[in-house]
Amino acid sequence: MAREPVILVRDLVKRFDSMTAVDHVSFEVERGEIFGLLGPNGAGKTTTISVLSCLTPPTSGEARVCGMDVTKDSLGARSRIGVVPQEVALYPSLSARENLAFWGRMYGVPERELRERIDGILETVQLASRASDRIDTFSGGMKRRVNIAAGLLHRPDVLFLDEPTVGIDPQTRRNILELVLSLNADGLTVLYTTHYLEEAEFLCQRIGIMDEGRMIAVGTRRELTESIGATQVIRVVADGLDADAATWFKDSPDIDEASVIEGKISIHARVGANLLPTVVSRLSSSGASIHSVEVDDPNLESVFLHLTGKSLRENDQ
Amino acid sequence: MRAHYIGWKDLRIRLRDRNTLVLMLLLPVALTAIIGFAFGGDSGISTVEFLVAGTEEDDLISQAAAGLGSGSEMFQAEPATESAAREAVAAGEKPAAVILPEDLTETVIEGRRAEVVVLSDPASRIKSGIVRELAERFVARLNAGSILSRGVFETLAEERGLSEAEQRRLGGFLFGWARDALEEPRLTVEQRQAERQEIDVRAYFAPSFAVMFLLFTMLTSAKTIHEEREAGTYSRLMTAPVARTTFVGGKLLGSYLLASIQILLLVLLSSLLFGIRWGSSPIAVVAMSLATAAGASSLALLIASLTRTSRQTDNVGTAFVLIMSLLGGSMWPIEQAPEGFRSAARFTFNYWAHSGFKELVFNDAGLAGIWQELVVILGMSAVAFVLAATLLVRR
Repeated sequence: MAREPVILVRDLVKRFDSMTAVDHVSFEVERGEIFGLLGPNGAGKTTTISVLSCLTPPTSGEARVCGMDVTKDSLGARSRIGVVPQEVALYPSLSARENLAFWGRMYGVPERELRERIDGILETVQLASRASDRIDTFSGGMKRRVNIAAGLLHRPDVLFLDEPTVGIDPQTRRNILELVLSLNADGLTVLYTTHYLEEAEFLCQRIGIMDEGRMIAVGTRRELTESIGATQVIRVVADGLDADAATWFKDSPDIDEASVIEGKISIHARVGANLLPTVVSRLSSSGASIHSVEVDDPNLESVFLHLTGKSLRENDQ
Repeated sequence: MRAHYIGWKDLRIRLRDRNTLVLMLLLPVALTAIIGFAFGGDSGISTVEFLVAGTEEDDLISQAAAGLGSGSEMFQAEPATESAAREAVAAGEKPAAVILPEDLTETVIEGRRAEVVVLSDPASRIKSGIVRELAERFVARLNAGSILSRGVFETLAEERGLSEAEQRRLGGFLFGWARDALEEPRLTVEQRQAERQEIDVRAYFAPSFAVMFLLFTMLTSAKTIHEEREAGTYSRLMTAPVARTTFVGGKLLGSYLLASIQILLLVLLSSLLFGIRWGSSPIAVVAMSLATAAGASSLALLIASLTRTSRQTDNVGTAFVLIMSLLGGSMWPIEQAPEGFRSAARFTFNYWAHSGFKELVFNDAGLAGIWQELVVILGMSAVAFVLAATLLVRR
């Protein structure tokens, strides 16, 4: 018998009055997986997490966590999940330890285990030395780490992280991403929402791309890029390039497209890296003086662009 | 149920907040001290002198004056003519005068309607308020005597067929007998008053301000319901296995604990700083304090449930507390207000809370003496909590 996914979302719809925030979304997350929900602001990622974490009931469709229906067995489902909200949701005048103790008790962590677990989680987020300090004396990054720790204390089966790196410095962001990877290495299933495609690419084993409430694609990064026939791009900057240079490469069966624009030739190929020696040799023999060569892998930006006709980065602006 | 963790967490947060501590303790104590200072010197009223005027014979007026003064040395009622009484009050020589109606005895025997007027000097609010209270007690006794004697009189006159002269003699005798009989319990009142020969203005206002600032503190506590929503901690709580009823219960518990600490500390501080005696029954003081804490915390929760944001709770709540305090006598002696105003005051929480504490401070009423206040306050508290919980859980 096939193992039931930790998260199962089937044909989920969530409407707020006339606005459809989540529109017939379906996906599954397997145990031990980091699954990313990628999309611009307003795509429906946070609403999907809100339904899964029992904060708001679905209008229709099915949402199950650890086999429990989030509508029918809300308390059961909530005891199995850990939620790290987008904003820091802690009590500023309580210390890190007091905050964690409170959240641990809310999740029913036994008193005899509480202290040990708090010590352990503070070590994990590297804040053991600040355990007794009030949260309002912490930097933004430290608050974020305690925010994550509060969602982990009760050892959930699945952790929901809702854009945990918004508005923080690169170093803290890196720390958080590494923390998520290390938690996943210990077996934790993670549902991670983000509108930063680099994070999704770096962290997630599978990604669901959302836009305007709909799930427009689901798969691994390779599956997603392959699904749209995305290619690698070789970009060469050189002096002495003439318009014919593009024509030479277009005739090759391994190359999909080539163009010369302002001293730069772009060559699109499925396995562009393999063609690099040929390209460099051909350009050199034609008398061009090469300044730089680079190979760009296809990325989720290309996928998003292909599927929606707009750039994910544009949506960030 | 994890409500107690929420309550305990809230209490910790509030007690670490300096603003809350100022509102809880410093302001009511400071205001009580200022009021005491404003009334001068030792802040006390050792005697209340007033005049009693009427058209009856002098000895009857003297009797009425004695009845009004309850025989206590503290209350010194002197007979006077109506014009002399009016002049003395207008000149500020006496804080108040009681003007009895014409033919008081006849009026009472025949059961006619009449009015006892209390003239007050606006500059002497506390003392004139006390005189008004004395007059009300006196009138209550006369009314009871009138009803009792009239019942007996009508029965006898009908059965025995008495002449008019006999009826008048019998009526006078019965009324005198009934009045004396009804005045018997006055002996116990005199005993209690004898122990305390001075009314402390601060003792009057300490409970008033305690109740008013208790409501203010409770507002700051109740509005954390909205602050938690605004800060995202409520959403986080709702993703934990915590029911909404647990959240509401925890919020009430936290507020109630804070309110109980505040009111008991204010009782203690006012005793230590101002020497106020809250009666001889610690159980009654604690019961009154805990009931008041329950009422204030439930009412504040109700305000929070009727508003949408913490700012709204602040604005609506402040207006509510000020109106209740004004109407309920937390800012001034309600005793001298017109009857209609005092009737309206009975619908306020402040009135009953202040009334209960006043009974403890001035009449040394034990638990039995404040049962009515306790029942009303706990009733208000229960209704407010049920309404608030229903609204908050549905939201």
